[in-house]
Order: sequence, then structure tokens, then C-alpha cells
Amino acid sequence: MLTYLTLALVVLVPVCGLALVALARAGRVPLVAALVTVAVMVAATAVFDSAIVATGIVGYDRGRISGVRIGAAPIEDFAYPVAVALALPALWHLLPARRPRPKA
Amino acid sequence: MNAIYLAGLLVGIAGTLVIDARLRLFFWADARRAAVVLVLGVAGFLLWDTAGVRLGIFFEGNRNLLLGVDIAPEVPVEEVFLLVLLCTMTMNAWGMVCRVLTRRTIRTSRTARAPRPDRMRTG
Repeated sequence: MLTYLTLALVVLVPVCGLALVALARAGRVPLVAALVTVAVMVAATAVFDSAIVATGIVGYDRGRISGVRIGAAPIEDFAYPVAVALALPALWHLLPARRPRPKA
Repeated sequence: MNAIYLAGLLVGIAGTLVIDARLRLFFWADARRAAVVLVLGVAGFLLWDTAGVRLGIFFEGNRNLLLGVDIAPEVPVEEVFLLVLLCTMTMNAWGMVCRVLTRRTIRTSRTARAPRPDRMRTG
């Protein structure tokens, strides 16, 4: 029986691994900024996700989650803000930039 | 009450768009790249969500706060907007932090290069 923690790690480990490699090659600023963004998004998730869970908008199978919560949110949910804060900046860096317009 | 969750998400997204436009962080920095990042991000997280639902880990709860439209079993349409908000908020934050760090780097390197006869350069 696959638990939420297993699912979270199966997605998180390769995504973060690849993203960190891409960000490291992007440079110190993009990499450090992404790590700061992880902290920001984890904090935001603690607030928003707790509200979503507390109002009952989403339900969880209690047999599949560890039971550890931050606020009302299962700790496994925090894989999302970690992934988004690393993967999206990495993706931005990997895509070609548009040609800069001459400054007005 | 059914529209309240969606309304909250739309307000949040509007907020990120205003900040983006004001500071030129994401779409207002490079619309084409932003569109690709947003679409891939939302699609990726929707796949993750679908896996969680298929495995029976999570599911829709209180339908009083939801419109009642699902894009997939146990995946409400509001989830798409939540993921859009997650992505736009993330890229706005990252853009802002990059800018702050870049300014700091420029400032630090300028003062480091300035001649200081009264003090040893520690490099």
C-alpha cells in the first residue's frame, strides 16, 4: 500500500535533484534565490493549506498519511512548495530568454 | 458559499498579476517563458494530484465550498486555480529575491573594488 510519504518522495527526490543541478549551473543568485523561495512557499503553504484542510475542502485517508502535521496540513503536502520553488525557477533558466529590447 | 473557495483563489491570482505587472517579475518579464513555465508547472502538479487520488490518498471533501465541477474524479476545477496561484506566487517571489540578491552583489563588488588605503583588503 503506497503511502503519501512514499509518493511525495518518489516525485520530490528526482525533481529536486535535477532542479538543483540546473540552478547550480544558472549561478549563485538564482540558486540562493530558489532556496529562499522554498522557505517562503513552505511558510505560505503552512497558512493556506491549513485553511484548506481545516475547512474540509480536501480529505485524506488516515491510513496513508504519517499523521505529522504542520498546522492542519499533513507534512507530506509540503513536498509541493519545495518542488515548485526549485523546479519552476530551474525550468525558467533552462528555457531560452527572449532577446533583450534596447533600454529606452 | 459554493463559489467562495474559487473566489478566494481568483483574488489571490489577481494579486500576483498586479505585483508581477508592477515589478515585471514573471509574465511581465518574459511572457512566452512564463506561459511555458506555468503550463508545465500546473500540468506536472495535476499529474501528482491525480496519482494521489488514484492511490486513494486524498479526495474531495466539503462540497459546500466547492462549485461542484470536477476536471477528473475527486479533482475539483478549483485545483487548477490553486496550482496557478502556487506557480505565479513562486515565480514572483523568486524574481524578487533574485533582484535583491543581484543588487547586493553589485553593491558588494563596487565597495570591494573601491580603494581603501586605511584598511587591508580581506578579499
